[in-house]
Amino acid sequence: MFIVYHLIVFYLASHFIWYLFRENEFWKRVSVALVLIMFFLRLFLIK
Amino acid sequence: MKCLKDRLISGLLLLLSLALCFFSTQKFREQHKKETLFPSEGLASREMLSSYFPGLIDTPGDTEVYIYGGQNPGGNILILGGAHPNEPAGYVTAVILIENIQVSQGKIIVIPRANNSGFTHSEPQEGNLRGYSLETPGGKRFFRFGSRLTNPIHQWPDPTLYINPSGQKLSGQESRNLNRCYPGKPKGHLTEKIAFAIMEIIKKEKIDLAIDLHEAAPEYPVVNAIVFHENSAELASYSLMELQQIGFEFRLELSPNNLRGLSHREWGDHAQVMAILLETANPSQGRLKGKSSLSLIIEGKDRNYSKAAKFGLLFVPFDSEGIPVKLRVARHLAAIKILLSSFNELNPEKRIEVNHMPSSSQVKLKGIGQFLCPPYRK
Repeated sequence: MFIVYHLIVFYLASHFIWYLFRENEFWKRVSVALVLIMFFLRLFLIK
Repeated sequence: MKCLKDRLISGLLLLLSLALCFFSTQKFREQHKKETLFPSEGLASREMLSSYFPGLIDTPGDTEVYIYGGQNPGGNILILGGAHPNEPAGYVTAVILIENIQVSQGKIIVIPRANNSGFTHSEPQEGNLRGYSLETPGGKRFFRFGSRLTNPIHQWPDPTLYINPSGQKLSGQESRNLNRCYPGKPKGHLTEKIAFAIMEIIKKEKIDLAIDLHEAAPEYPVVNAIVFHENSAELASYSLMELQQIGFEFRLELSPNNLRGLSHREWGDHAQVMAILLETANPSQGRLKGKSSLSLIIEGKDRNYSKAAKFGLLFVPFDSEGIPVKLRVARHLAAIKILLSSFNELNPEKRIEVNHMPSSSQVKLKGIGQFLCPPYRK
């Protein structure tokens, strides 16, 4: 379950990173970066 | 060229996210670090709670058990602090005992962080501080200000309705409240296992008197109180009179028979121990409090509570001077000292002799820090 959960979070985080590099509008990218923080925290921190 | 610039900005934002994540991680991990305690020379041994119940080995519920005395037979006393880690006076009182006392007859067992998991997080939506520092003669000591409940990372999810080991129906989140889970279950969830381990200590160490240190909001009726099991009625009433003589007003509350799962009820029912729970008034955990701040925790000052007191809504006197933590710790220490002396008078064959316990008047006068070791002591 733990691995499945982390794979899902990793999948979504990678989509956000892809979106970050594809998007042209600055503020949209900032928003994505902020959301990414939460996903990173989920990946690396929260047990 | 624009494409390259966009990618550079995106890369920088990604790095910024990772950096923020890194710094948050540091802060988060600090929550799981236990602050060092410096036991007095009177310490006979230090055990872990799991040595009484192996089901807690390698769990966040395992915690230190400090044992004093035991060389000369006498009464056996258990003192529990930190059952609710958002009640600093209970925890700090236990730490002061650990760092000062020597026991020449009988045995005193102190558990300062009864719910160790509760110290690793904060109460959601309260904006509480992570902790507070107390000034000692050799520098500041930091203490965690935790949550009333076990960390949901360690015990999740909460049931919709929690039926505790004594059959009491409670709201789901109370399944993480140590003082609703007694007598615990060896195969229950983490909080029930902690409760079970504490029951095991009481039984295996043949405890005669068990004292649970707590605090409550000033608007809560059971505050500045001695809550007692019926088998310790004589001890509690005897102690009350003595406390009143030295200027401490306490109210006596008999442990309700139909409120199950609490220490003062289940310790007495299941282990026939004299069970006492002490409550002081803590404005930092009340519903009427204003902004959470260091001043609120240490000095116990709050404008909302001063106003509520003027309207007669509180169960304790409260003015602009507040109720500082040193006063609450002094109350706990006074009550423990009197409970022990009353215990000796009522049970002369099981005397308990404690030396170097700071007196309540000294703590009120000099402050808590004077009775804590400096942060660097080995």
